[in-house]
Amino acid sequence: MMWIELAHFATIIALLMAVVQLMAPVVGVLALRPAWVRVGRQAAYVVAVALTLAVIGVVISFLNHDFSVKYVAEHSSLSLPFFYRLTALWGGHEGSLLFWAWLLGLYTAMAVWRHWSSHPHSVPVVLSVLGAVITGFLVLILFLSSPFERLPRPPMDGRDLNPMLQDPGMVFHPPFLYMGYVGFAIPFAFALAALVNGRITDEWIVATRRWTLFSWAMLSTGIVFGAYWAYHVLGWGGYWAWDPVENASFIPWLVATAFLHSNMVQERRHMFMRWNLFLIITTFSLSLLGTFLVRSGVLSSVHAFASDPGRGVYILMFMTVVLLASFGLLVFRSDRLKSEVRLESLLSTEAAFLFNNLFLVVAALTVLLGTLYPLAMETLGSAKVTVGAPYYNKVFVPIMFIVLALMGVGPMLVWRGMQAQRLLRAVWIPLAGASIAAGLAFSFLGVRHPYGIVCIFLALFVAVSHGLDWGAAVRKKMIAAKQGFIPASSNLIRRNKRRYGGFMVHLGIVVMTVGFVGSGLFQEEKELVLAQGDFVVMGDWRLTFTGIHSVQGSNWTAQEALITAETDHGKKITLRPQKRVYNNHPMPATEAAISSHFLEDIYVVLGEPVSDANWAFRLYRNPLVSWVWGGAEMMALGILWSLLQGRSFKSKKRVDGTGPALQVDPSHS
Amino acid sequence: MEYLWKIVLLAAVLFILGLFASGLGNDSRNIPSPLIGRPASVFHAPALDDGPEISLESFRGRWVLVNFWGSWCVSCRHEHPYLLQLAKNTAKRSDFVMLGVDFKDTREGAKGFLQALGDPGYRQAFDPDQTIAIDWGVYGAPETYLVDPQGVVRYKQVGPLFNGWFEKIALPLMEPKHENR
Repeated sequence: MMWIELAHFATIIALLMAVVQLMAPVVGVLALRPAWVRVGRQAAYVVAVALTLAVIGVVISFLNHDFSVKYVAEHSSLSLPFFYRLTALWGGHEGSLLFWAWLLGLYTAMAVWRHWSSHPHSVPVVLSVLGAVITGFLVLILFLSSPFERLPRPPMDGRDLNPMLQDPGMVFHPPFLYMGYVGFAIPFAFALAALVNGRITDEWIVATRRWTLFSWAMLSTGIVFGAYWAYHVLGWGGYWAWDPVENASFIPWLVATAFLHSNMVQERRHMFMRWNLFLIITTFSLSLLGTFLVRSGVLSSVHAFASDPGRGVYILMFMTVVLLASFGLLVFRSDRLKSEVRLESLLSTEAAFLFNNLFLVVAALTVLLGTLYPLAMETLGSAKVTVGAPYYNKVFVPIMFIVLALMGVGPMLVWRGMQAQRLLRAVWIPLAGASIAAGLAFSFLGVRHPYGIVCIFLALFVAVSHGLDWGAAVRKKMIAAKQGFIPASSNLIRRNKRRYGGFMVHLGIVVMTVGFVGSGLFQEEKELVLAQGDFVVMGDWRLTFTGIHSVQGSNWTAQEALITAETDHGKKITLRPQKRVYNNHPMPATEAAISSHFLEDIYVVLGEPVSDANWAFRLYRNPLVSWVWGGAEMMALGILWSLLQGRSFKSKKRVDGTGPALQVDPSHS
Repeated sequence: MEYLWKIVLLAAVLFILGLFASGLGNDSRNIPSPLIGRPASVFHAPALDDGPEISLESFRGRWVLVNFWGSWCVSCRHEHPYLLQLAKNTAKRSDFVMLGVDFKDTREGAKGFLQALGDPGYRQAFDPDQTIAIDWGVYGAPETYLVDPQGVVRYKQVGPLFNGWFEKIALPLMEPKHENR
């Protein structure tokens, strides 16, 4: 009873403090009174603490089954397992927004604490910008979609969490996605600070490098968790459908990936300054768009259960303010940020990054176009249309081939420029290796689709070029330090975490690409009716329908079929696909049975009973799906590794501590 | 040229915002039926009340409102008071007739529903295997079709009818001059 009121009260305090956080630094800078900036900082800490209390209050209301809280009554029930009650906070619109605001509050507090003394010029602007974003969210939460609303007559039991969300994949998907989305707010705020202050420095890039890396890692992981959830729960045998809301998370990812690369160019060569500002502003704007697209009902999608057009107007107004303010700043303040450095050679790392950026942004545009096209058509009064996989396969995929090719060339290039002959000497081995692999795939694996051949070629090209680069570096080290292979390579990897973390990410992407080829081009699907004792052959597997029975979970009952899968090599497993009916939901949910192996997944969906003993089944053999998840894990590890580096750039800190403007003395803090 | 990118950028941002503004009122559940403007699929179905068989063709020459419902459908309960009222208000019209199709249901369930919430008095077809519902492209309940005197589908309402639906949506279709007056 009490907890939700505490949460509500804490959120009101947070809103007031967010306004203070927004206003006080402005006063401080304009009136040259550093004390006001410190007030803003304390306000940011209070916001973080208050929102933490708010989140705890809502979570405890879930744990206590407080059905007098509307949000709890609608997203939980007495029989909901503990794990899902703990995470039901982001099971609906209102709680997700609170969660988003809470993350932003925490990040703001961390950013201010970390950068207070090292970036005194940026911090006031960062405080105001982030304060404005939090204020926008908290107004939405408190006035338009409150998770604290009470029911005058509490029901005896709640309506239960949407069964589709009762899956581990969905427990992790939103928080990771949000940690990514929200994380980009910090570099975004620093970028705006650079524009407001008009200081032509690269410090915002250096200051926010880890924020960017971290957010990118979280966003990547979040997207993969979403795909994993779709694969496990939606029961159509795939993991990516180019659904508008999937795209909404993928578009910022593409732009963020471009930013991740081009900010290195600014760090090393002081180029692409305006471009980087554009990229980070776009990334964060798209993150906001991604958050709201799911929530506003503007686009129709599988996520439609979360939509509510009623709040759309406010959300759109908020978006308009944020977008116009930030892009306006970029347009009107960025002239003085023009870089003096020009591209010296097309055969250089910076040129490769330039093209990488170009193609990633074009790729993002194609996805954006495909996502918005149905909306535009509807607006123009034409019929409802949907844009699906054929469009993306034709338009988006080839662009990514070019990006992959650039990724392979990348390690061979050096900054500033090199001679063509040297590049040619370096490139032929990976090219030869890739050609052989593509040839083998064509003749022995039966890969006939041009995309398959190209993908395998490029995957090998990237892998070999990265391997060669790494091998050469290790050899050099072994000779120079007279070390054995293992100490030399471990030294190397530890010494240059950014480079080899990046390599790991690239290899992860290669592994994922192979997974995409396998699962995209070689999926085998069968839809048939089986009686008990019938069998069906999929690849090496012989699948026998051995029985069906009822099972009971804490809040559902299910028909569970038993399918015995055997190979000739004596491998034997039992698959248990289910058709679940959750207590409070009339629609049955399919629970696919998936048996994952290194080279393929066997995926069985139980359909409807056709007659007494006959059941419909859908069976898939999905080659190499586990490579997609494995590749994603490699990516995450690679990013974690490169996050560990950062100390060596400490010398670059305090760069803006000697400006003519405001001095904030950290000793008073 | 230097200003070109600025104009393009701001225009693109404004365009996307404008697009969202225009899409705001869209209801993603509202999928236009391809049957609109096409002759309605005719049916002969048993009546819910064991009366004579119901045939859509027998209503030719009048506007027919065909309401698909089931006793299992919660929204139909919310819609029911309006149907009762509409049936009463339009009882005297000679050009308009209402017809219910109870689908995916049991006779007992449907009769219980009408007993509890009131019987609007118009005829109810009984469609337990959803054959009519499937022919008509019904994917949820309630859904309501408006069929013109020539037997052509003119409108489909997904979800419950709301207060004033008849005046706002049906009448303008039935009396095109009505609006111009």
